[in-house]
Amino acid sequence: MSITTTGNLGPMILQSLAPAMLYVPTPTMNYITVADKVSMPSNGGTTCRFMRPRALVPPTVQLGNAGIDPPAQVPQRDIIDAQMAFFGTGCIINEQVILQDQEGVLAWVSERLAVAMRQAEDLILRDYIVSAASTINAGGGSNGDNPTNLGVSDFSLVAATLDTNNAYKFMSGIEGEDKFGTGPVRSSYFMLTSTELQPDFDGLTGSGFLSSWNYPNNTSALPSEYGSVYNVRILTSSEAPVARAASANSRDVYYNTVLGKQAITHINQDGYSMNLIYRDPYYSGMLAQNATLAVKFAQAQAITQDTAIRNLLCTRSGN
Amino acid sequence: MTEYSRMARGVFTSTGAAQVIYLPFEPNVIEITNFTAAGTPAQNGVPFASWDVSMGNGGGVIQAFNATPVLTTDVMSAGGFSTFDAALALQYGAQQQIASISKASPAVVTTASAHGYSTGDIVIMQGLYQTTTTGMPQICNIPFVVTVTGATTFTIPWNTNQSNYTALSASPTGAFVKKVLYPFLYSPEVSYISAVATGTTTTITTTAPHNMVVGQEVAFRIPSTWGTTQLNSLPNEVIPGSPIYGYVTAVGSTTQVTVNIDSSTYTAFNSNPTVASVPGLTHPQMLSVGDINSGGWPYTGADLYPSPTVNGATTINGPSIYGAFVNNTRKGFIVGAGSGVTLTSTVLCGAASDVLKWKAYRTDI
Repeated sequence: MSITTTGNLGPMILQSLAPAMLYVPTPTMNYITVADKVSMPSNGGTTCRFMRPRALVPPTVQLGNAGIDPPAQVPQRDIIDAQMAFFGTGCIINEQVILQDQEGVLAWVSERLAVAMRQAEDLILRDYIVSAASTINAGGGSNGDNPTNLGVSDFSLVAATLDTNNAYKFMSGIEGEDKFGTGPVRSSYFMLTSTELQPDFDGLTGSGFLSSWNYPNNTSALPSEYGSVYNVRILTSSEAPVARAASANSRDVYYNTVLGKQAITHINQDGYSMNLIYRDPYYSGMLAQNATLAVKFAQAQAITQDTAIRNLLCTRSGN
Repeated sequence: MTEYSRMARGVFTSTGAAQVIYLPFEPNVIEITNFTAAGTPAQNGVPFASWDVSMGNGGGVIQAFNATPVLTTDVMSAGGFSTFDAALALQYGAQQQIASISKASPAVVTTASAHGYSTGDIVIMQGLYQTTTTGMPQICNIPFVVTVTGATTFTIPWNTNQSNYTALSASPTGAFVKKVLYPFLYSPEVSYISAVATGTTTTITTTAPHNMVVGQEVAFRIPSTWGTTQLNSLPNEVIPGSPIYGYVTAVGSTTQVTVNIDSSTYTAFNSNPTVASVPGLTHPQMLSVGDINSGGWPYTGADLYPSPTVNGATTINGPSIYGAFVNNTRKGFIVGAGSGVTLTSTVLCGAASDVLKWKAYRTDI
């Protein structure tokens, strides 16, 4: 008796495509989330200009009874200029790919281009902040390095610095509720930091750190929010900036951006924030073989309140 | 060559040092003709050279004149052509062991092997301990511009000839230096301060090029350890809460500016913090907060609307206000100052004043 198996009578077509695409690992994009958004008009030149009035001297000296006016003050302003820049990337796809591939290649390539563009916006903001914002080295940790690992006093210090500078907080706080294991959340600045520091934050549980899961109402937490310490709510991302082996003792140095409202502004130009461009093969060479898919965007960025932003540098508690 | 390949050409006059060429792409084929060397054949002249991406960064093929002089060929293994994609911050070169650092001003850094740096490169250092309580950890992670003085030596603009610094010697364990690959991606950026000269105006010396211009509005962040805290933009005793800024009135050098702040009565700057202060020691900084300029970048005889310059090089993004925040991300290639493996007296980028014509390609296939 012979048994017919797939060895001698296999399927005519060996594979079939699973119905859903696998996910693409993508970092959370926190920098664009917290940036102010401004649109520069078309035909508006190359440079976006911000104006911030300066405070006048408060008239704290009484006029007296002489009937003489005090001298006039001259109003002053600060001007911040940022140059617009253009970015773009794309793919050239042969028509045979479009014709023969089973999956919707144009659809998923379009999606990837859009995500690449959004990630570029975020990375540009990230690196700009690394370059242009001043730094504070953490000193509240115990690892003896410079900067040290984060201690709760570092959160307190940076929040006090921004408060002293009269920065505006982002969030108004979450009132406590009668739920086990939860605690109220203070009005807060945001800290944009690395997912690699999450174990260090967990290590501060009980001494100031409150996990976002322990908020009285965690629907108030942002998707990337890991928790809070005092007046700082912590947003983590795997793309937060890290200077590898850069501390005094050669540990990795994490750039934790702590900021208030209007500290950083993202500028586009007249809706040029994104163009998805598809060109049919008709526009390629003599035989019209290749389609192109591309994205293009314009972006400038500026630190618009330098007193409301600090990069709190730290290392990890271990190696 | 297909329709999507990229081609570019240009001309530059050599300074005798490596030449950076900005392009909107990273080439995979480069050719240069040293027009001067080709026209005046002389020993060690390199009239023609080329590179293919398969040779790797630093490589190349050269044609050079021998003593006769007749053209001969050689290859390069270092200091040849290289490409770059300066897009993301905090990228570093390989770390190198530090053999010693002197107590001097400027401090002399000696590496255990040839460092390969060029004057103007930016470096950071780590692990600058001679013992657990002595050394120079105060200057770890500060970006310094280097002045190369030898194959294994360079200086950094910092005065280590002070009481709280101990010379490093005998290649301390963990003492490393590494090059910051892409500094100045966004300009002007935060600068670290090495000296402050107080007076009716205030002169600031920075550890690396500040990229500031006259009219730049600046703020200071000087922790109390470093002395001159009165320069800090806050607190303000006269108008509480209102930041105090200064303006750049003169640019003395790439690492020195004068600002219009009368610091005659301010505390002297102290660049001599103790080693014990190092955990948590924040370095003194100067940052740009804006500018008072309203025109474009100065016309210098070339483009009518020139692009801003950053660290001496023109950015790729067209005109802007003088002193604006600009994006300086860039791509391109470098014509190195290295020599052939056999013809060791040749110089790829030519001698100063040589005119070189280049072609660069990015091929599809």
